[in-house]
Amino acid sequence: MAAYTNIVRRAVGQLTGHGGIKGFFVQLFRANDIKTGALVGIDKYGNKYFQDNQYFFGRHRWVIYTTEMNGKRTVWDVDGSMVPAEWHRWLHCITDDPPTTHPPEPKKFLAKVHQINLSGTLNCYVPYSTTRRKIHEWVPPKVGEQ
Amino acid sequence: MASSAATRTAAKAVKPIFSSDLQEARRRVRELYRAWYREVPSTVHVYQLDISASQCRDKVREMFDKNKHVTDPRVMDMLVIKGKMELEETINVWKQKTHIMRFFHETETPRPTDFLSKFYHGHDP
Amino acid sequence: MLRLPTLSRALAGAAHSKGSIPTSNNVRTSVRALSNLVEVFVDGMPISVEPGTTVLQACEKVGVQIPRFCYHDRLSVAGNCRMCLVEIEKAPKPVAACAMPVMKGWNILTNSEKTRKAREGVMEFLLANHPLDCPICDQGGECDLQDQSMMFGSDRSRFAEGKRAVEDKNIGPLIKTIMTRCIQCTRCVRFASEVAGVEDLGTTGRGNDMQIGTYVEKMFLSEMSGNVIDLCPVGALTSKPYAFTSRPWETRKTESIDVMDAVGSNIVVSTRGGEVMRILPRLNEDVNEEWISDKTRFSYDGLKRQRLTQPMVKDASGQLVNTSWEDVLTRVAGALQGVQGSEVGAIAGGMVDAEALVSLKDLLNRLDSETLCTEEIFPMSGAGTDLRSNYLLNSRIAGIEECDHLLLVGTNPRYEAPLFNTRIRKSWLHNELQVALVGHNVDLSYSYNHLGESTQVLQEIAAGTHPFCKVLSQAKTPVVVVGSSALQREDGAAILKAVSAISQNARASSGVEEGWKVLNVLHRVASQVAALDMGYKPGVDAIRKNPPKVLFLLGADAGCITKADLPKDSFIIYQGHHGDVGAPMADVILPSAAYTEKYGTYVNTEGRAQQTRVAVTAPGMAREDWKILRAISELAGVTLPYDTLDEVRRRLAEVSPNLVRYDDVEEANYFKQANELSKAVNQSLLGAPLVPPQLTLKEFYMTDSISRASQTMAKCVKAVTEGAEAVDEPSIC
Repeated sequence: MAAYTNIVRRAVGQLTGHGGIKGFFVQLFRANDIKTGALVGIDKYGNKYFQDNQYFFGRHRWVIYTTEMNGKRTVWDVDGSMVPAEWHRWLHCITDDPPTTHPPEPKKFLAKVHQINLSGTLNCYVPYSTTRRKIHEWVPPKVGEQ
Repeated sequence: MASSAATRTAAKAVKPIFSSDLQEARRRVRELYRAWYREVPSTVHVYQLDISASQCRDKVREMFDKNKHVTDPRVMDMLVIKGKMELEETINVWKQKTHIMRFFHETETPRPTDFLSKFYHGHDP
Repeated sequence: MLRLPTLSRALAGAAHSKGSIPTSNNVRTSVRALSNLVEVFVDGMPISVEPGTTVLQACEKVGVQIPRFCYHDRLSVAGNCRMCLVEIEKAPKPVAACAMPVMKGWNILTNSEKTRKAREGVMEFLLANHPLDCPICDQGGECDLQDQSMMFGSDRSRFAEGKRAVEDKNIGPLIKTIMTRCIQCTRCVRFASEVAGVEDLGTTGRGNDMQIGTYVEKMFLSEMSGNVIDLCPVGALTSKPYAFTSRPWETRKTESIDVMDAVGSNIVVSTRGGEVMRILPRLNEDVNEEWISDKTRFSYDGLKRQRLTQPMVKDASGQLVNTSWEDVLTRVAGALQGVQGSEVGAIAGGMVDAEALVSLKDLLNRLDSETLCTEEIFPMSGAGTDLRSNYLLNSRIAGIEECDHLLLVGTNPRYEAPLFNTRIRKSWLHNELQVALVGHNVDLSYSYNHLGESTQVLQEIAAGTHPFCKVLSQAKTPVVVVGSSALQREDGAAILKAVSAISQNARASSGVEEGWKVLNVLHRVASQVAALDMGYKPGVDAIRKNPPKVLFLLGADAGCITKADLPKDSFIIYQGHHGDVGAPMADVILPSAAYTEKYGTYVNTEGRAQQTRVAVTAPGMAREDWKILRAISELAGVTLPYDTLDEVRRRLAEVSPNLVRYDDVEEANYFKQANELSKAVNQSLLGAPLVPPQLTLKEFYMTDSISRASQTMAKCVKAVTEGAEAVDEPSIC
């Protein structure tokens, strides 16, 4: 009996735990899921990290992305690379200690501001030819130098 | 004189392929057209063509219209035979997608013919 | 230093026997009666040859090739490689075929057991000291030693000792030496002293210690130095710019024509992957034999630098920016439509093909303009360019070999036309040709009678008061060559008049047959004769006097016209392949193809029409010259009536049929009339001495837009002025 009440309580919690009807639908459409869990921490960009060990392993930790990161609107256009390095290791179960309780050691190579992956954007890396050019064009003299 | 007489008799005694007259030949063409028309949706489905059935039907219509001017029953019969062969190959998936799409040549840009377009086009088109 | 007895005899004879009648000991001109032919047998096949023919030549006559390293058709016989040993029946020892004259009734066995054994033995000795570095050798694939060791060598070696090693020499930025590979054939030594006429190379030491070199560290200072690369049968002398770039079997060969000078040397352009890898000479007995000058051979890297690949226009700030063909052609057509008559002019440069010249002329004529000029000046008084004989090298390049007295006026053929100079030297060496020069005292690589450099001398010879007239009057076949640079002076017409008079006098006194030509003009740029044939005006005076609103520069890079000569608002169109002198002053730049990238007709200084062929496609958006002009004409509303190359050539044939008779020289005549007309010129000679513009080797290398863009040529200039060490790069191997 207690198990059934627990299920009902969780169901109600999932329906009401996102901040009203609007919040519920926003969550549904952004994350395709309405599960609720314990808020483990929020990183400096506003990404929220949750945990609920009732789910099976692999679904028990998740992130609800922030709506604006590094000047980019990320309400609908979310990307996995928005998770910074220190939370990435917790989220992917490399460690059980979240950076809220175990802040990462400061390293020179760690980025101060986390960068979202640029693939598919205008700023993405484009490979270029490094072979010797066969023809060297004439460059006309600049106006001032004539 | 003798030779022309021979041709005349030959012309008279010409052997029909299937159809004895024009009406019958036209009937066969209509039947083939109908068969193609009915086959088109399944072709689009089976070959997973990226075009709609109506586009295919337009193309079928176009292929038939191409031979509109033919009035000789023997020629019409021969064309119908060829059309049936195509149809059979299509139905039995003896063809591949590319063979179907070969009927659609839209992507091929015509090569320039006048001097100025050739000049703009490239080195030696 | 090696001194070959035959050569020193020839040199001594030439130096000391000036004025004597040519002796009959030269084989080339002597005609012997048919009766005293010698009959010999080559592998049993009978053949009749002239006495004095060598065994090797006799074998060649029946089509049997004897392997050789040191023997070369155009060089004296050395006979030191011993590869050509053949057995003579009933002779005790094998003989060196290249040096042995045939005797009556000899049976030459070219494939007998003894002959094969002799070759195998010689090959084994040659390979004993030859490094086994074929995989990294630049000669690999075109190496005589490689080929002949495959054909005639043994399949094993009995060699167990250490190999000899020789230090490499730095003989300049063009030729790379790997002297360990040398087999001492001395072809390079003989070439340098006989053909190039510089005694720079020689041998030191004997036997196993023999080395080829310059004795002291110095550069091989010759304008023909690159030919030793072709001559070297092994990889001892290879091309420095070509080193480690490609293999002969990778390249595509295109037979073409050189346009660096007015000789029109026949060349083979080797290309790989749309890039010119190297340029080699092609045999043409009438023009360049089998040599080419260093500028022809090595300036190909200029084709890859400073190229115009995109049409350009000046924007509002006056900066040239890239644009599309549609845009530039509309602008040019618009500019041409806005002007009429003499408000549009054109200047054609030195490397323009005849197709482009005729299209430009047709285009401007349709716009009612006749202001078509070439950069090179030619005196227009007297017959001017109306009589073709006035501006051709009438006696032809090969004709020099039949000449006995040569008078050069105001020219330095060694650097203006190196191949022509080689012919003169060949004739001087073998045919006792006597050369005299009026003009600056320059090193022509052979001895000559320097008559002085003032124009006064010319006047005296023309008047018959100069002592040289006596020498000239004894000439059987005299030739007078005047350099085009002498005719570009203020008093060019007077010089032409004097030279014409000298030629007529010499002809009259020699009593030579009617077909012999005396008067010759030696041009310096490839396009000049074709332009004059088509009726272009030589010199830009017309444009300077009457500056046009629209000026069309067709590859004009000599800097004859500057911005200062033109009104401020004039519209300058530059069409060419290099950003050199002409391009920066242009308002619109139309990129076109260079000579390796188009089918083009060029007429050389003797009036020989030859064609270049497409070896690589033009870079970027560059197009063939005549096509650009044809496109402009269509947009300007005066469409030219030809769409294809054949139609352009048909038009060329209409203008002047000799322009499309390829490899054929159209003779010019009316020397007498030209002389009569020149008498009407009343221009007096100036006092200034006759000094050609190219006096020393460093002025030879960079003369046109291609060679000016070439890094190899820049290195040559630096090496000549500062020594070979200045441009030395650490060698990889």
